[in-house]
Amino acid sequence: MASQPSTYDLIRQHGIDRRTFLNYCTRITAAMGLGAAVVPDVVAAMENKPRIPVIWLHGLECTCCSESFIRSAHPIAQDMILNMISLDYDDVLQAAAGEQVEEIRRRIMKEHKGAYILAVEGNAPTKDDGVYCTIGGQSFLEILKETAADAKAVIAWGSCASHGCVQNARPNPTGAQPVKKIITDKPIINVPGCPPIADVMTGVLTYILTFDKLPELDRAGRPKMFYGQRIHDKCYRRPFFDAGQFVEQWDDEGAKKGWCLYKMGCRGPSTYNSCSTIKWNEGVSFPIGSGHPCLGCSEENFWDNGPFYERLSNVIVPGIDSTPDQLGKALTVLTVAGVGAHVVSQLVRTPKNGASPEK
Amino acid sequence: MDIIQQPLRFVPGETRFGQRYVWDVPIRLTHWVTAFSVITLFATGMFISWPIVGPGTGEPANHFLMGRVRQVHFASAYALMFSFIVRGYWFIVGGRYARSGMPRFWDRRWWNGLRIQILEYMSVETGPAHVGHNALAGVSYVVMVGGLGMFQILTGFALYSQSNPGGFWDSLLGWVIPLCGGSFHTQMLHHLASWGFVIFFILHIYIVLFGAARYKNGLAGAMISGEKFFREGDLDL
Amino acid sequence: MATRVVVDPVTRIEGHLRVEAMLDGSNRIQDAISSGTMWRGIEVILQGRDPRDAWAFCERICGVCTTVHALASVRCVENSLGITIPKNAEIIRNIMFLTQMVQDHVVHFYHLHALDWVDIVSALKADPAATASLARSVSPKWPLATEGYFRDIAGTVKKFVESGQLGIFQNAYWGHPAYKLPPEANLMAVAHYLEALKWQKELVKIHTVFGGKNPHPNYVVGGMACAIDLNSDNAINMERLNLVKDQITAAINVVENMYVPDLLAIASFYPEWTTYGGGLGNYMAYGDIPQNGIADVAKFRFPRGVILDKNLGEVLPVDPTDPEQIQEEIAHSWYQYPNGKTSLHPWDGVTEAHYSGPKTPYKELDETKAYSWLKAPRWRGHAMEVGPLARMLVGYASGRAEFKEVVNAALGKLKVGPAALFSTLGRTAARGLETQLAVHWLQDEYDKLIANLKAGDSATADTHSWSPETWKPESKGLGFTEAPRGALCHWIHIKDKKIDNYQIVVPSTWNASPKDGKGQHGAYEAALIGTPMADPKRPVEILRTIHSFDPCLACASH
Ligand code: HEM
Ligand code: HEM
Ligand code: NFV
Ligand code: SF4
Ligand code: SF4
Ligand code: F3S
Ligand SMILES: [Mg+2]
Repeated sequence: MASQPSTYDLIRQHGIDRRTFLNYCTRITAAMGLGAAVVPDVVAAMENKPRIPVIWLHGLECTCCSESFIRSAHPIAQDMILNMISLDYDDVLQAAAGEQVEEIRRRIMKEHKGAYILAVEGNAPTKDDGVYCTIGGQSFLEILKETAADAKAVIAWGSCASHGCVQNARPNPTGAQPVKKIITDKPIINVPGCPPIADVMTGVLTYILTFDKLPELDRAGRPKMFYGQRIHDKCYRRPFFDAGQFVEQWDDEGAKKGWCLYKMGCRGPSTYNSCSTIKWNEGVSFPIGSGHPCLGCSEENFWDNGPFYERLSNVIVPGIDSTPDQLGKALTVLTVAGVGAHVVSQLVRTPKNGASPEK
Repeated sequence: MDIIQQPLRFVPGETRFGQRYVWDVPIRLTHWVTAFSVITLFATGMFISWPIVGPGTGEPANHFLMGRVRQVHFASAYALMFSFIVRGYWFIVGGRYARSGMPRFWDRRWWNGLRIQILEYMSVETGPAHVGHNALAGVSYVVMVGGLGMFQILTGFALYSQSNPGGFWDSLLGWVIPLCGGSFHTQMLHHLASWGFVIFFILHIYIVLFGAARYKNGLAGAMISGEKFFREGDLDL
Repeated sequence: MATRVVVDPVTRIEGHLRVEAMLDGSNRIQDAISSGTMWRGIEVILQGRDPRDAWAFCERICGVCTTVHALASVRCVENSLGITIPKNAEIIRNIMFLTQMVQDHVVHFYHLHALDWVDIVSALKADPAATASLARSVSPKWPLATEGYFRDIAGTVKKFVESGQLGIFQNAYWGHPAYKLPPEANLMAVAHYLEALKWQKELVKIHTVFGGKNPHPNYVVGGMACAIDLNSDNAINMERLNLVKDQITAAINVVENMYVPDLLAIASFYPEWTTYGGGLGNYMAYGDIPQNGIADVAKFRFPRGVILDKNLGEVLPVDPTDPEQIQEEIAHSWYQYPNGKTSLHPWDGVTEAHYSGPKTPYKELDETKAYSWLKAPRWRGHAMEVGPLARMLVGYASGRAEFKEVVNAALGKLKVGPAALFSTLGRTAARGLETQLAVHWLQDEYDKLIANLKAGDSATADTHSWSPETWKPESKGLGFTEAPRGALCHWIHIKDKKIDNYQIVVPSTWNASPKDGKGQHGAYEAALIGTPMADPKRPVEILRTIHSFDPCLACASH
């Protein structure tokens, strides 16, 4: 591997001058939320390292994480694939098919034992021996375990791989489970979101390449640099929230003025993601910016936290399916009724001439 | 059960029949701080959950309704927490009534007391008059106020910690959120638990009034004066 | 002895597809089966949920055709609840729909399909100057056609290859005898592969403006969540509209001066592929892009209809509400129906998984048994092909002028007759031609939006039936659209404010379907039959035909 050219060599060979290269390093540094002080480190890393092999597996998914990935603006997907990583296996983009592809996966696992990154999009069905997702006749569950065994680290793309996502929503017909439930002996970086923001995806990868270490993770195994704060704490509609000015209905006065979407069910107050800072598609907008409440798509089990347009979800225990307030009110009425019944029973039974209990 | 035989004080004119000083100052103080903060927390909490009124149109910088209500919620939250701390401390160092009613699940006599109390409220059987809390009252305070209150404090401050990742409350209580199944669920549970206080409140007030009316034990004012009084009977003290 | 060629995974598609082809002695495909090897159970997961949330679940059926399931879903709920959306919402949805179609088709052509026809390694031998003049002759208006530009690209390819780390391009079929392009055409295609990759992320910003993000922009039942207020800096205003407009202008340039010229240039090197891969010859389109509400089918830009047995002389009517017309069978699918039923209309549809295939890991499927996670939808008992080719043929056969114009122009350029359309290449070409229509429609829809705003209408949502309190105790509805891959429809049953049943029949379910009870093949299977293979170990021919459908298996099985 030592004889392989570094990212910088490759960029240079593509006829890109040093200024553009430095400029590019500054941009990705900024994208990672790092200060100007670390730009020289980025430059050094880009100058000296060969491209790291990446195996990108696809399980039960909608492939939207891949779609998001190719929307990245800095760096663009082309730079990522041609200059920064060696995307050796990815059945969505791979030129070869069938046996030839599986052969690549086995070869990379052997030749780069302990050195490749395993990127997982989607997740694995665990019911019925995993027959709900097979590749080359093998269950994805097996493929995932097998490929993770010799990986240096695992990146769990999107809410599918991080949390289970839509196929894991009640009643989870296939027993879909996120990567962390299946791989327990490897560092896993969860990059949730349905899908994650493109530049978050490339930001995580470039961080690993540049600093030669995994990003600092929070309690949920997410890179702090992108999932450190709630949408709500950095939402541009927050002044309306604090003021108490809310959209009450689609297309109302408040909607036109861009008031807070809290009463439309916004999950921003319980969602950790970069949407309200980095925004989507090169900063054009984000869900709230275009008038729709946040669905909480980067949060664990968010699909089961509906109805999405209600502030709170229903309480679902066998026999009960109501909002917390309906339940609370019902219990209150029951209590009042119980008290009433007691009053009545006491009026009937208590002797008239003394409050003291008889001995 | 910790039964102390102590003669009743009979000083007609000065004290009332069977009068006892039961609730000393820290108990009364924490009781009222707890009561007012819980009521405020419930009211502000419900407003936060569904802000029924708003300032309407106008410059957001001139309004801070939601923000203010949240501030009140948080101020009451601190009050509740300190009140709990003081009451907890007093539980250890306070007089014997400070520990009365404490559920003793391992003690058959406690279970018996609970049974008798329930039957008494149903007017089926009568038991002794209690100077401190009876078993039923005790268990309801410990579970419905102590337990639920602790739960609200834990989930509440965990929710509160979210706006300052890495801060004091986050490092202290950050573990609560994943334990509750994520931020959204923590909020759901915090909301749901609020209703427990409504139910407690109704039962609590009723029983205080009922006790006062039925046994003429002065309960209605006991948490103000600290005095309870008894007409006759076996006192468990 | 027949050889059995197994391609699994079929790559450069969405989802997990397995193809098994049986070859005769001269390596011609005599029988084939297509198997969807994943299932998530979205229809099961939807049960019992709030119908207004359904679009978000459905949208996650697929991130490649992101949007179309959300669109079909809000339409089916609106249909069920009797909601008519405001005009602006209809136009914005049309704009989003067309944006998706254009982006998806271009990405399919360059990033998923091109490598079946383009040999990257051969591009190394190209002369940059000759490539530039080729590019200019193919598309005189495309500016990136200089020698220096192509030298840079050639350098990129060269250094990439020399790095020894070939990434997604390794171990492929370079040098296969089925590749026919000269090195210069290959280099030009590689350059445009990269250009398209850079550009596609720009176009989708239209979704971000109206839907807040892409992939998976937001919809709402009753209209769109993005309010319009030209005097607000927090709603759709002039700046937002300008962004949309610019992207449309850029898209027209890319499609007219890069995509379509490339497509026709490449196609001209593969005339034999206008004779392979035709398959069923039955085509179906529900139609879409309403101009006067979803109920006025006659005014759709994409007309509705069925063509049976390649008969362009007759367009038959389609009614997805009719239980006699649309049915899903499960004879060769890993599902079971109650009471021994074998086919059901989606309103009465049932999704109950029942795996009966081989234990993993397996080498072969048994085509006499169940072999796929796809059901087999049929129209009046016929297997149908849906998609760009079906839409172009229905438009053509319905006598729509704009369809005839683009189709005839392309046929003229390639010097072939309409029969050439019934083929692998016909399918691939139809996709490009439809994209050409789509970019101009995009402009038209934008102009309509402006005109409507000018007329003083800024409504984007109808909220009369938003509250579940206003709903009938029980209702049913359906929502159709023409997704990039073809006719898509969602059927819903709402009961007591909840989803009682939700059934989805997807374009790729039609195309990639397994055999039905009568043994009739699905469209992929039928299209593969008859194709000769040069080297069965390197299945380029199978990939070509399968890719011409642009498979999406996450969609197909959902
Ligand atoms: C939400 C409001 C309230 C809460 C959470 C609450 C809670 C409590 C608690 C925890 C105790 C046990 C005291 C201890 O051992 O420290 C208690 C006792 C008591 N509370 Fe309250 N309280 C509330 C409202 C009230 C009100 C409004 C009254 C007056 C009418 C009242 C009257 C009493 C009395 C008389 C006792 C002593 C009962 C006994 O002797 O067993 N409480 N309350
Ligand atoms: C009796 C005790 C309490 C009650 C009844 C109560 C009630 C509530 C309710 C009903 C909500 C609205 C939940 C929702 O629907 O989103 C809420 C929110 C909240 N509560 Fe409490 N709460 C209590 C104690 C506390 C405590 C001790 C804290 C500690 C700081 C706290 C912090 C919060 C926070 C941070 C929120 C979220 C509000 C926001 O940030 O917008 N609560 N509470
Ligand atoms: N088949 C399919 Fe889709 C499309 N187009 C949806 O309906 O791709 Ni994912
Ligand atoms: S996380 Fe969401 S977007 Fe990504 S594959 Fe899963 S369903 Fe699709
Ligand atoms: S729109 Fe959502 S995230 Fe933004 S301030 Fe309102 S509630 Fe918070
Ligand atoms: S829905 Fe997802 S995209 Fe962002 S604003 Fe909410 S986390
Ligand atoms: Mg279906």
